[in-house]
Amino acid sequence: MKHRAESVAKVTIPIRALLNRFALLFLIIAAFAIMLLGKADTLVVERARSGVVDAVAPVMDALSRPIAKVSEGVDRVDRFFSVYEENAQLREQNARLLEWQSAALALAAENSTFRKMLNFVPERGGSFAAARVIGDSGGVFVRSVLINGGTVDGIQKGDAVVNGNGLIGRIAESGRRSGRVLLVSDLNSRIPVVGEKSRVRAILAGDNSPSPKLAFLPQNAQLEVGDRIVTSGHGGVFPAGLPVGRISSIGDGGIRVQPFADFYRLEYVRIITEFPGEVAGQIVPSAARPSQRK
Amino acid sequence: MITAAVQRLDRSARQLAPFVMSILLVMFSALPVYLPGYGQVAVDVGLMTVFYWAIYRPDLFPVIAAFVLGLWQDILVGSPIGLHALILLLANWAIVSQRTFFQGRSFAVIWWCFSLVALAAAIVSWIIVCALNVTIMSPVPVLFQAVLTVGVFPFMAWLLARAQHAIIRPLDV
Repeated sequence: MKHRAESVAKVTIPIRALLNRFALLFLIIAAFAIMLLGKADTLVVERARSGVVDAVAPVMDALSRPIAKVSEGVDRVDRFFSVYEENAQLREQNARLLEWQSAALALAAENSTFRKMLNFVPERGGSFAAARVIGDSGGVFVRSVLINGGTVDGIQKGDAVVNGNGLIGRIAESGRRSGRVLLVSDLNSRIPVVGEKSRVRAILAGDNSPSPKLAFLPQNAQLEVGDRIVTSGHGGVFPAGLPVGRISSIGDGGIRVQPFADFYRLEYVRIITEFPGEVAGQIVPSAARPSQRK
Repeated sequence: MITAAVQRLDRSARQLAPFVMSILLVMFSALPVYLPGYGQVAVDVGLMTVFYWAIYRPDLFPVIAAFVLGLWQDILVGSPIGLHALILLLANWAIVSQRTFFQGRSFAVIWWCFSLVALAAAIVSWIIVCALNVTIMSPVPVLFQAVLTVGVFPFMAWLLARAQHAIIRPLDV
């Protein structure tokens, strides 16, 4: 009996070793196959990804809250020590903003008069969804964050994501209750923008560095350091006029833009789910817009 | 009868512990920490856990576990899917095949070997991501991440050793 067991082991052990080696080879091939499928933006991979993230999102949401609280506490202590300087600064800023306010009110009144004179049809307002950032650490190869909002909140792939300071990115994947935001600094981010003053069109191309580059500029573009860059709305994916950033450097390495939004301290973001000119995810010229939507 | 079943359940739970712990640690590492610049060079927790278990308990961390952990990391972190699956797979295989070398070595030697593995992982993943995106990316963040990961490794190894002592040691008795 013992002899028989030994002879069985003699056969099974090499087979098992072979299987193990085969498993490694098989898994390596599988990893490459998944990589290629993922690169091709296959629907299956995308579904699987957002399915997993959907399942784990509530847990990450709960876990990230105490971290946010601690970070807020540290911030508060930090601010306490600079309260005097900050107060002086805010007073000065307030005085300046009051001047701007009166200017804005005057312009608004003037604008409404002109609109009445021209019989201008006002555009519909957009609609928004808010979400909390529940995961970042995009790693060294991607710049993205996870949010706790998805299709049930009306968030769809491609939607623009902003916060109080400016554009953050776009929705790259949208699950039911979670989504991934591709930041404007990511290698794969391309956003049509325009110089606010110069009206020079360009594509803001991320390269994983903190300040993305302006690409496809016209040859004689007149741009200066400090110019504000906003979304142009070309291609219809994003609404026009969202503040993006300021030109931070012009040199041999191209023109770089410092985004207004601070990507390292994102806690809540706003997703533009619908904007004037968009009907059910499709962009239509204003003349073709259904009249009942007014 | 019931005690035998409970014992078996307890045993399998302990055997699963290295994998479950790794899954949780990778999830924790994907939470937002609100530190400027940290998100860009976040330490590679998956690599550390795979390295540790491949050295100390390869029987409880098979190659398929490394593969699944890698996919999990890719999904949570948002890196090209399959990338970490491949890296962790190769790391697991490389260490397990050199297992006899590691037996009875001091921690300094193991730390040194980890730095080599982390460097190799950084280079391989950099090459793959460059190939996938058809551009040459700056290798600086990748190398910085490797250095940071090597720096954090002793702490992680200490943590995992405590866990191994508390949860897995009873298996051997």
